[in-house]
Amino acid sequence: MIEFYPQIKHAHIGLALWSGLFFALRGAGSLAGMRWPYWAGVRLASYAIDTALLTAALMLLSILPAALYANGWLWAKLAMLAAYIALGVLALGRARTRGARAACYVAALLAFAAIYGIARAHHPWGWLAPYFAR
Amino acid sequence: MGNTRKLWLVLAALLCVSFSVLLWSGAQIQRNAAPMPEQVVADGGRPVYSRADIERGRQVWQSMGGMQLGSIWGHGAYVAPDWSADWLHREAVAVLDRWAAAQGGAGYAALPPDAQSALQGRLQRMMRRNTYDAGTGTITLDADRAAAVAQVSRHYESLFGSDPATQGLREAYAMKNDTVPDAQHRRALAAFFWWTAWAATTERPLVEAAVPAGVAPPDQAVIRPRQVTYTNNWPAEPLVGNTPPPSTWVWSAFSVMFLIAGIALLGWHHAVTRDEDGHTVPQQDPLAALKVTPSMRSTAKYFWLVLALFLVQILLGAMTAHYQVEGQVAYGVALADVLPYSITRTWHTQLAVLWIATAWLGTGLYIAPAISGHEPRFQRLGVNFLFACLLVIVVGAFAGQWLAVMQRLGLDYNFWFGHQGWEYADIGRFWQIFLFVGLLLWLTLVGRSLWPVLRGPASESKAIVGLLFLSTVAIGVFYAAGLMWREHSHISIVEYWRWWLVHLWVEGFFEVFATAVIALIFTKLGLLRASTAAVAVLFATIVFMTGGVIGTLHHLYFVGSPTAVIALGASFSALEVVPLAYLGFEAYHTYRLGHATGWMQRYRWPIRFFLAVSFWNLVGAGLFGFLINPPLSLFYMQGLNLTPLHGHTALFGVYGMLGIALVLFCLRGLRPQEVWNEKLLRVSFWSLNIGLALMAVLTLLPLGTLQLLAAIEHGYWYARSAEFMQKPIVDLLVWMRVPGDTIFSVGALALAWFVLRLWVRPRAGRAAAAGEAGAPGVAVGR
Repeated sequence: MIEFYPQIKHAHIGLALWSGLFFALRGAGSLAGMRWPYWAGVRLASYAIDTALLTAALMLLSILPAALYANGWLWAKLAMLAAYIALGVLALGRARTRGARAACYVAALLAFAAIYGIARAHHPWGWLAPYFAR
Repeated sequence: MGNTRKLWLVLAALLCVSFSVLLWSGAQIQRNAAPMPEQVVADGGRPVYSRADIERGRQVWQSMGGMQLGSIWGHGAYVAPDWSADWLHREAVAVLDRWAAAQGGAGYAALPPDAQSALQGRLQRMMRRNTYDAGTGTITLDADRAAAVAQVSRHYESLFGSDPATQGLREAYAMKNDTVPDAQHRRALAAFFWWTAWAATTERPLVEAAVPAGVAPPDQAVIRPRQVTYTNNWPAEPLVGNTPPPSTWVWSAFSVMFLIAGIALLGWHHAVTRDEDGHTVPQQDPLAALKVTPSMRSTAKYFWLVLALFLVQILLGAMTAHYQVEGQVAYGVALADVLPYSITRTWHTQLAVLWIATAWLGTGLYIAPAISGHEPRFQRLGVNFLFACLLVIVVGAFAGQWLAVMQRLGLDYNFWFGHQGWEYADIGRFWQIFLFVGLLLWLTLVGRSLWPVLRGPASESKAIVGLLFLSTVAIGVFYAAGLMWREHSHISIVEYWRWWLVHLWVEGFFEVFATAVIALIFTKLGLLRASTAAVAVLFATIVFMTGGVIGTLHHLYFVGSPTAVIALGASFSALEVVPLAYLGFEAYHTYRLGHATGWMQRYRWPIRFFLAVSFWNLVGAGLFGFLINPPLSLFYMQGLNLTPLHGHTALFGVYGMLGIALVLFCLRGLRPQEVWNEKLLRVSFWSLNIGLALMAVLTLLPLGTLQLLAAIEHGYWYARSAEFMQKPIVDLLVWMRVPGDTIFSVGALALAWFVLRLWVRPRAGRAAAAGEAGAPGVAVGR
């Protein structure tokens, strides 16, 4: 599989960006009181992108499992992913008030940005790596 | 004579005839099985193998997981090769290379086509010739062949040890290093593999069909049929002339004809007996006032266990599937050192049967007092005791299997307490006997609860209760089929009884049990007349059993069976598909009953899972089952990914969904006051169905089809080889399991969470308020 590593990685990056963009749009639509973010087709598209993203991630991990045991960047990314999912669920309707949903939406987007930064830097500090990494 | 009585007589006669034929077939298999030699010698008398070597080798093979790591004669796991086919191909190539070298060539592959054909013809004559001497029990091998056997044996001794030269293959086959640490055991293992390959390539002694004297001239007095090997030429291997025998073509064609005839006949029956028998359903749910007895309440733990086992089974399935990608590790963790492939697959397949069986056992224990309204003395104690026994069996049997596969148990104890190596009948004999006793206890517990109804005055519902009771008796007693073989019984005989257990027990009697339970549920709900239901269930049982009993033989085409077994298996198993073609009727009927009245909303989710059972019965059992069922198809498809395509969609699709439906039905009665979380059940239902469909469509069907083409073009060994299974397209298809499996797992988790919340912080209030008030009675009919 290693011969397909670049293609799988590109697919992973592309799917991650689609996933984030989709969430940003759905969250914004939801906060604006629109109904389309909850249409079955939109939800199913979101699930499809996320399961494909997970598949690509697991493929990359099986090709280069050493990432798990490197400097902890992957664990940091996974922790932020858990936070992103939880905040995303709250932002898209679980939270009781509109204000709480808006706060969760912003926090989820920040978590996504953190994931992106960690993935790019291959360092747990992500965007802040240039300042804190030794 | 009443309609019901007539049907009972027909069923009794059918079962007598069918089991007589099945037992006769068993005798034929025993008579025609490949002989186990006392000794194998090379020309000149030099010993190659002894009977003790081969039998010890089989013990070693069983102890390392047997059919759970690679397969023998096509039965077993799919990642490692079929050892019989692999050995056969390696031995054939080794002989050809020796001959090519003797002619001054670099090897067989380097020879010009004409020279290759000449050597291939010579090879076929040598390999197919039966040199077994029944008088002395000796098989004699040519010197070249004996040298080739030694060469292949060295390969296997390396593969099953920790030789770096075969490390790549071990990873490709998902084998742990030192699968068999003892060198003597590895040599014995090779002897067993050789014998299975020998049986697959050696022609049976000629059976001459003599024509009566005077009917034909002397030179035409004997019809000489084409010779076939002990395994009916399985596996497909062009080098040694293993091609499908004529009987597979003939009986495949006839099986399609029988299928169409059966469908026409049943269609006619449906047309002339269209039931317009409408009747008024009750205003309120008759089961809402059901008194839940202490023993019924005690069955709750069975359903918790079902969910726990189901989740563990999925986790083990994920590990097993992952081994196909990374042979010995999982994301950098050396998983094979602790839980090797053969153990994760063993537990995965066994848990599938165990959690489904637990769901049905729990249902039987719940429903028997519900039907009779009778709580026998100490019934609750019995239910709790049986549960404890089941736990001990699962933990004890699994621990024994782990010790066996890790080669820590020793061969002397393996048969009794370790790993028997027979797929779906893997647990040690001690645990099998324990389970048998447990099933008899279950039968007793169900029987004593139903006794007042069975002993009571004749009533319309008595017939259906009687059938339910008979199926529980059959489930209890027929498990004994798994005890019919001994440690050193011939492999063909073990296969014969093993399929009694897997096919007849699971696909036969559980099917009857399920049909009777569902009909009883609808009868108790007042949606069906007891008389109508009794006739329908008896008729369905007759139709299922017509094909089901003798149809068992379709698993035995290539395990050393004579042609009669192919003929019977192909014809009758085609009839098994007949009722499945009409599941649309069944599904629509169930759907109508589900909408017959407002209060049926309470049972919406059990009904939907019943509908899923119908769908997967048609697709998984009917379509994907018949895909691999005719002898000619199975000649190539056995042990390819088209087999788990049928396995997953039929076992989970039908019996798994049915288990879930029954659990949900019992939970409705056990927790009548709780409001059900419809959203969780919706997520669970659709995720399980979509996940299963994706698993079938994205991976198993395309991968199995690719393998099929490879097997037809190049031989069976190639479709199972590391060379083929490591192709990028295969890798991709294996990874395509992740989306489907993820969605499936979400469904299982949602179901588990739903059940948990029925007990932990449940939603208060009356259930299904809409249905409680009761809707006006609606006439329903079929």
